[in-house]
Amino acid sequence: MAIHEKSLIDPDRIMTHESLVVDGVDVSGHWNTMVAPRFLSDYDDDFVNVIRAYPGGENVHRCWQCGSCTNSCTMYAQNTDFNPRYWIYLTNLGLKSEILKDKDIIWTCVSCNKCTNICPKDVRPEGVMKALAHWLEDEGHTDKTRSSIFDEEFTGQVLDHGRIEDAHVVINFLRKTKQPYFQDWLIEAVKRLMRHMPVGMLTMLGWNFLFTPKTRSWGRTGEVLREYVREQKAAAHARMKEAAHV
Amino acid sequence: MQNTVLVVGGGPAGLSACAGVIGAGKNVVLVEKEDRLGGAPILSGYAKLVPSGEWAKDAMGRMIKRVEDSALAKIHTGTRVVSLDGSVGDFTATLSNGERVSAGSIVLTTGFTHFDSINKPEWGFGTFEDVLTTTQMEQMVAGGKIACPSDGRVPERVCILLCVGSRDRQIGREWCSKICCTVSTNLAMEIKEISPQTDVFIYYMDIRTFGLYEDKFYWKSQEEFKTKFVKARIAEVTRAPDGKRLLVKGEDTLVKRPIVIPFDIVVHAIGMDPNVENTEIARVFGIGLEKHGFIDRAEHYTNTCGSTRRGIYVAGAALGPETIDDSISQGQAAASRALADLYALVQKTA
Ligand SMILES: Cc1cc2nc3c(=O)[nH]c(=O)nc-3n(C[C@H](O)[C@H](O)[C@H](O)COP(=O)(O)OP(=O)(O)OC[C@H]3O[C@@H](n4cnc5c(N)ncnc54)[C@H](O)[C@@H]3O)c2cc1C
Ligand code: SF4
Ligand code: SF4
Ligand code: SF4
Repeated sequence: MAIHEKSLIDPDRIMTHESLVVDGVDVSGHWNTMVAPRFLSDYDDDFVNVIRAYPGGENVHRCWQCGSCTNSCTMYAQNTDFNPRYWIYLTNLGLKSEILKDKDIIWTCVSCNKCTNICPKDVRPEGVMKALAHWLEDEGHTDKTRSSIFDEEFTGQVLDHGRIEDAHVVINFLRKTKQPYFQDWLIEAVKRLMRHMPVGMLTMLGWNFLFTPKTRSWGRTGEVLREYVREQKAAAHARMKEAAHV
Repeated sequence: MQNTVLVVGGGPAGLSACAGVIGAGKNVVLVEKEDRLGGAPILSGYAKLVPSGEWAKDAMGRMIKRVEDSALAKIHTGTRVVSLDGSVGDFTATLSNGERVSAGSIVLTTGFTHFDSINKPEWGFGTFEDVLTTTQMEQMVAGGKIACPSDGRVPERVCILLCVGSRDRQIGREWCSKICCTVSTNLAMEIKEISPQTDVFIYYMDIRTFGLYEDKFYWKSQEEFKTKFVKARIAEVTRAPDGKRLLVKGEDTLVKRPIVIPFDIVVHAIGMDPNVENTEIARVFGIGLEKHGFIDRAEHYTNTCGSTRRGIYVAGAALGPETIDDSISQGQAAASRALADLYALVQKTA
C-alpha cells in the first residue's frame, strides 16, 4: 500500500527510489516508497570511549539521567531541542545516528557552566558538549565553527611570522567564514582609527599590513613549534584514549 | 519450666536467632528442611555477598559453625515441623522424623522462594540456553569463568534485566524485591572483573540501591566498571538471525524508540517470592499471612518480630523481601523476644 500519511513518519526514514526492483519484481511507481525500520538495532560500545578521550568528555559515563543539566541550561531555555542530558545518554550507549540529528545545535552551548555547577554526579556536561562538538568537527559532520577558524588564523599567523597583523586576522577570518568585508562595525572601527590614531602609528600599521614583517630572528621557530604542538596533541589524544578504556 | 527455643529454618536469619539464644545460655532446637544449613546463599550457591564482598560459603560457614559447635544447639536437617500443640511457654512440636520438641517460644525463619523465571516465558528462560537467572550467573562467577552455556564462547555483551518477577501486576507480584538492584550492580562488576572484554548492560525501570549501597555498588559499577544503564523494561527475548546471539526487544523510554539489541547472555534479576510452603506453614503454626503471601507481622512498635500468634516470632525474608544483613539483625531481635518469653515464665513460676 502506498504511504498516505507521510507526515507521521520521520522524514529521514522515508526512502524513495526512481525505480526499484525487489526480489526480481519491479516495484517502481506507486510502490517505490519504503520506510526504514524505526527501531534501534545496535549500540556502538566504543563510542563513549571516543568522547571520553576528548578534553571535557572524561566523566560522561557517570551520568544517571536526572535531567538537572537540561533543566538549568541556558540554551534549553531558548530551544528545547538543546538537551545535554539526552545527548549524554546517546553518547553512553553509542547511539551515534541519533546524535547526528542534532549536530547543528550541539555547538551552540554557551559554556555558561550552569549544568556543571548543578550536576550531582560531576559529569561536567559543558565539557561533554565541547567534546561532542569537537568530535563532530573532527569527523567532518559539521563545518568548522567560526571560533575554530578564528583560532586557526590567529595561531597560523603567530607561527608564520612570530606575530599577528590585526587587519590580516580580520580580513582572512571574514574571507574564510564567507562574510562580507564591509561590516558596519568594521567600517566604524576603521573610521575611528583614522580619526584618532597618531599619524606615525597609522603609517606603521599600513607598512605592516603591506609587508607583514616577521619577528626578528624568527627563523625556523614556527616550524619547530608547529611540530611540537602536533606531537603533543597526538600524544595527549592517545593518552586519553588509553585512559578512557580502563 | 521451659528452657528451649525452637527455630525453624536454617538460613541467615535462623542461624542468627540460634546464636542469640545460645549466647543467653538457653537451649535451641533448629529444624531445617534441606540437608544443609545456610539458607538461600548456600543452597543457591551465591558468589560474593553484598555488601561485605565475602564469599557466601565463608560468611555463612562462620554462622553455621558457631551454631554447630554449641552444646546448647540441637540441629535437625532434612526435617519439618508437622504439627504444633500448646501455647506460649509450653509448645510441643512434632517433627517429620517423629521426634517431639518442647519449647517455650518459637522463631520462624523459613525465608523465601526464588521467583521461577519460567513464569515469564517471553523473556526466554527455559527456551534459550544463554538466558540465565542471577543465581545461575552467581554460580558462574563463583566458578571463575564467564562463558555462554550454549557454546562456551566468551560473551561480548551481557545484559541484566531488573525486576524479573517483581513489580509486575501481570503475575501478581506487586512488591519490590529490594536487594536485586544492588546484587545486579555487584554482579556486573564481578563479570567485568573476570572478563574485562565483556560489556555489561543493565535494563532498569528504577535503580533501588538504597542506603549505603548507592555509591558502593551503583556508582562504583557505573563509574569504575563502566556498566551501562538503559532505561527500558524488556518486552521479549528472541533468537538473533545468526542463530547464536539473543535479541532483546523493548522500548528505550529515554530515546522514545523501540530497541532490538543483540546480546550473548541475558540475565534475569529474579525477585523474592513468598516461601511456596507458606500456606502450609501458616496452617501448622496457626499464624496469618499478609496480602502478598509472606508471613504477617504483628504491630511492630511494641511487638517487634511478633507474628499473629503469641510466642511465635518471625525474622528475615519470611516477612517479605529482605537483605542478609537485616535478616541477621532481625534473627537476633526475634531471639531476644523469644528469650524474654522464657524469662517471663521464670519470673511467673518463682
Ligand atoms: C539472586 C539473589 C542474590 C542475593 N544476594 C544477596 C546478597 O549478596 N546480600 C544480601 O544481603 N542479600 C542477598 N539476597 C537476599 C538473601 O538471599 C536473603 O536476604 C536471605 O537469604 C534471607 O535469609 P533468611 O534466613 O530469612 O531466608 P533463607 O535464606 O531463605 O533461609 C530460609 C531457610 O529456611 C528453610 N525452610 C524453608 N521452609 C522451611 C520449612 N517449612 N521447614 C524447615 N525449614 C524450612 C530453607 O530451606 C532455608 O534454609 C539475594 C537474593 C537473591 C534472590
Ligand atoms: S554550559 Fe552549555 S550545556 Fe551547560 S548549561 Fe550552559 S549552555 Fe547549557
Ligand atoms: S545533571 Fe549530570 S547526572 Fe544529571 S542528567 Fe545532567 S549530566 Fe546526567
Ligand atoms: S530491587 Fe531493583 S530489581 Fe529488585 S525489584 Fe526492586 S527495583 Fe526491581
